[in-house]
Amino acid sequence: MKIVITGATGYIGSRLTALALERGHDVILASRRDPCIPNVQWFYFELSSIVPVELPPQTHAIIHLAANTSSSHSVDDEAELFAARSLLAASQHVEAKFIFVSSQTSRPNAPTMYGRNKWRIEQAVISSGGWVVRPGQVYGGCVQGLFGTLVVATRRHPILPKFLPAPHIQPVHVDDFAIGLLRIVENDIPAGIYCLGSPKSVDFADFLEAIAKFRVRRFRLFVPIPVFIVKLAGSIRSHPAKSPSNIDRLISLLELPLMDTAADIELLELSLRPLPDGMHASGSIRRRCLLREGHAFLCYLLKTAPTFSLLRRYVRTVERLRDGLPLALPELFLRYPFFMPLIENHTSTSSRYLDEFNWRLDAVTLLAEATPQGAIRFLGSGSKFGIGISLLCITRAISGEIFWRLLCFISSPILKRWGRRREGEQ
Amino acid sequence: MKKPDFDVIIIGSGPAGVTAAFPFLKAGLRVLMIDGGYQATVTPPSKAFLSARSQDADQWRWMIGEDFYALKNLGGVSPKLRAPTHDFAFKNFANESQISSHDFVAIGSLATGGLSNAWGCGVARLSESELSDFPCSTSDLFRSYATVSDRIGISGSQHDDLSDYFGLDAWSQPPIQMDTLHEFLYTQYVNRRTKVTQNGFRLGRSRVAVLSGDRPGRSACDLSGNCLWGCHRKSLYSATDELTSLRLHSNFYEAHGFIVDELIRNGEILSVGARRNGTRERQAFSARKVILAAGTLATTRLALHALRYEQAVPLLSCPTGAFLLWLPRFLGLPRKPAFALGQLSFTLPLCQEISAFGSTFNVTGIPLSEFARHLPLRRRNTIDLLKGLLSSCLVGNVFLPGNLSTSTASLRADGSLFISGGYSDDIPALMTKIAKHLRISYGQLGAKILPGSFRMGLPGSDIHYAGTLPMKMNPSLGQTTPLGELHGCRGVHVVDGACLPTLTEKSHTLTLMANADRIGRAVASQMSNSQ
Repeated sequence: MKIVITGATGYIGSRLTALALERGHDVILASRRDPCIPNVQWFYFELSSIVPVELPPQTHAIIHLAANTSSSHSVDDEAELFAARSLLAASQHVEAKFIFVSSQTSRPNAPTMYGRNKWRIEQAVISSGGWVVRPGQVYGGCVQGLFGTLVVATRRHPILPKFLPAPHIQPVHVDDFAIGLLRIVENDIPAGIYCLGSPKSVDFADFLEAIAKFRVRRFRLFVPIPVFIVKLAGSIRSHPAKSPSNIDRLISLLELPLMDTAADIELLELSLRPLPDGMHASGSIRRRCLLREGHAFLCYLLKTAPTFSLLRRYVRTVERLRDGLPLALPELFLRYPFFMPLIENHTSTSSRYLDEFNWRLDAVTLLAEATPQGAIRFLGSGSKFGIGISLLCITRAISGEIFWRLLCFISSPILKRWGRRREGEQ
Repeated sequence: MKKPDFDVIIIGSGPAGVTAAFPFLKAGLRVLMIDGGYQATVTPPSKAFLSARSQDADQWRWMIGEDFYALKNLGGVSPKLRAPTHDFAFKNFANESQISSHDFVAIGSLATGGLSNAWGCGVARLSESELSDFPCSTSDLFRSYATVSDRIGISGSQHDDLSDYFGLDAWSQPPIQMDTLHEFLYTQYVNRRTKVTQNGFRLGRSRVAVLSGDRPGRSACDLSGNCLWGCHRKSLYSATDELTSLRLHSNFYEAHGFIVDELIRNGEILSVGARRNGTRERQAFSARKVILAAGTLATTRLALHALRYEQAVPLLSCPTGAFLLWLPRFLGLPRKPAFALGQLSFTLPLCQEISAFGSTFNVTGIPLSEFARHLPLRRRNTIDLLKGLLSSCLVGNVFLPGNLSTSTASLRADGSLFISGGYSDDIPALMTKIAKHLRISYGQLGAKILPGSFRMGLPGSDIHYAGTLPMKMNPSLGQTTPLGELHGCRGVHVVDGACLPTLTEKSHTLTLMANADRIGRAVASQMSNSQ
C-alpha cells in the first residue's frame, strides 16, 4: 500500500518507516530533509509552510507524525493547525486515510499549549472522519525523543528523583506503536480516537529504574521529591515559554490523565512487549539473557571470563540448533557461576528442562575446549604441568565433588522448591 | 547393436573402487568411475595439533565447524563422526542411498575416496586358515595383498609377536615412533612376556596404512597428532590420493556427483541409472561390466535391487568395545606430539574359534569433551579430573569376529534397504571375559583399565561391514561367484566388503582391497581375451 509519512525522520517516524518497508509497503516520506533511503520517495514538507500540500495519486493512507516538539525550531501553534488542515484536505482529495498521531496530554484544558493545540487538531481530524492515535510513553529503540532525554539523564545522573505522589505513565515500545499505526492502515478499523499504551500504568520512577537496569545497566539511587516543589518551580518561571520547556513537560507528565487502552489494543490485535524486553536496544532481552547464560556456563567451566567471540558462538549455537530461548536460570547462578554445581544434576534427566540444560552443558564444554583458553584449561598447555599439578587437579575434582554433593543434599529443600516453581511457570 | 559408452563402470571411488580400477586401466579398457562427489570443505589444521590448539583462535572452525557440525552430531557414536573436517565423508549417505536401520549404526560415504577419508588405517592380512572360506586360490590373493600393500604404503614392520598375525612385514616401512606410554607398555611386555602371555594375550606394533617414510606426493608422519582431524601431510592413506595415478591413464573417465540407484541389463549391455547428487536430474551410463564398489551397504542395496531379491541377507559386522587405560606411573606427563592412530595392537584368544583384536591410541588428539560427557561428576570437576588424569591414559578398542553379529539387511518394497542390527547372545559374556583378561594382562604391564570405562559399542559402530553377498564356489541367488559376479545378474561384479565370505576380528580394509585387485585382474584379463 502507498503510505505517506510526515515527520518520518523523527523518533517514531524512522521506526515506522522501517517497519512499513519491512511489511512491503510503498512508503513516501514528507519531511524537511531527505533521509535518502534507497527506493523511497521523498517530498519537502514543513509544518510552518503555507504552500498547499499535494499527495501522490492512489495514496492509501497518510500518517501525520510531524509535530513541534523541540524548543529550537519553534513553529507557531496556529501554523501547526494550519498544516494539519492542509494535509487533511489533501488526503480527502486523493481519498486517503488520515491518521494523526496526537498526544496523551491532549485535552481542551491541558496545562500546556502543546496539549491544547493537539486537541484542536484532533477535533479537525475527527470531524472529517480521520483517525487519531494517542500514544502513551513511547520508549525503546534509538536514544531519541523524550525517551532519549530520559536515557541520557539516567546515564548522566547517579541520583534520580522519585516524585511523590507517584505519577503514572503508560509505556508503549516504539515498534509496537508503529505496528499499531500500520494495523490501522492495513485493516478495516473504524475511524475514531485510539489510545496506545500499557493498559496497566507504571510508576514513573519504576520506568526510570527499568531504563537504568536494562538500558543503561547501572545502579541508580532514587530520592523522593514531593510534586509540589516541581510545581512551585514551574510557577516561579515568569512567562510560560512559547514552546514547552523541560519543566513544562514534567508538569504535564505529572498531570497525565490515565487512558483506557485495553479495548483499543485488543481491537488492533497488538501485544505489547514487557519493559525489560523493550528497554533493550534490540527490542528484546532474549539475546542478552543468552549472553549472560553463556557467560555463566563458560566462566563455570573455564574458571575465567570467556572472550566475546566465544560468548557470541554460544548464543549462535542456541539460536541455530535449539529454540534460541534462554534457560531462565536463577539470578544467583548467572551472577555467581561458581554455584552452578547446585543445579547440575546428572542423575535425574526426566524433565525436558534438565535435558536441555545438559545439552547446553555438553555443547558449552566443547565450545570452551575449542579455544586457546580451552587448551590451557583442558590440556594444561602453555603452563607448567607435572605430577604435582596433576595430583592437585585430581584432588580438587574429588574434594569438590564431595563438597557439592553435600551442599546439594543440605540445600535440597530449596532446590526442590525452585524446581517446582519452574515447572509451575512452564 | 548399440555400443556401450564404456567397457567398465566402477561405482564408488573408495579403496575397493580405485584398487579394481588399476588392472582394468592397465588392460587398456575404457573405465568410468562414478561417485557421490562430495569433497572436503573444511581445511584441517596445518600446524601440529598441540600448537594449533594453543595458538589458533579459529580452531573452532575445524573442531566444531562453522555450521556447528560437531554440536549437531553430539549423539554420534564416535568422535570421528563429529569432526567437521570429515563431514563430507559421511554426509547424507543413508538418505541419498535409501538406507534405513534399526538398532544399527549405518555409515557409508558419498565422498570421492569413500570411507578411506576418515578411517583408522588399520591393515592386516588374513592367514591361510582364515581364507579357507574364500572360493579362490590363496596364492592369487596373497599376490594381490602384496600389490595393494606396496601401492598404499604401510608402516609398522618390526619383528614382534604380531608379525605373523598381521603378515605384512615384507611390504611395510618401519613403525612410526611410539609415545612414552606405549614405549613403556611395550618394554614391560618384552620384559614380562612369559607371564603376560599365559592367557594368550599378545602385543605388537599396529600395522597401519600410514607412512613412516616419504613417498611421491605424500610425506611421512611427523607426529603432528591431527589423525582424527585430517592429515595435511597425507601420511594417512586415502583412496582420494590415488585418483592422481588413475588419471595418468587416458582410458580413465570420471563422473563425480552422481548417486547410482539402479542397474538394468539390456542384452549384452548393462545400464546404470544415476541421479545427480542433490537434484532430480537423471543420467544413464552403459558398459559391458559394472563393478560395485560403493561400500558394503550401498552395494548391497544396488545388488538386491537389481535382483529384486527381498529376503533378508546376513550382514557381518564386528562387535566392538572401548576402554580407557591408565598408566599411574606417568601421572603428570605433559602432553606431547604423538601419532594418534593405533600404536600397539593386541590379540586375545577367547575360545577355540573366537579371538579378539584391538589397539591402543594416544588421547591427545581427542577432545576432552568426548570423555567428559560420560563421567558422573559435576562438569567443572570432570574437567579438573581429566586434565590431571588423561595425559597418563590411553584409549583402547577391541573387535570380535563379524559372525557374532546377527544383523541383517533386506530390500523393502519401496526399493530401500533396511538394516536390522543385533549381536549374538554370547556377546555380553564375551565382552565381560575380554574386560577381565585385558584387566589382568594390562595390569601385569603396569596399566589399569579405569573402572567403568569398558563400554560395548552399538551394532554397526565398528563400520566394518561385510558378507551380505558372499562369494561361493556354487552361489545361489543373493550370493556371488569366486569373481564377485552377482548370481542372476551377469556382468555385475561386487568387489567391496559385501562379497567377503568371512569377516574376522582383524581390520578388513586391506583384505577387501586385495580381493578387489584379484577380481579386477581376473575380469580384466577375461575381457581382453574375449576382445
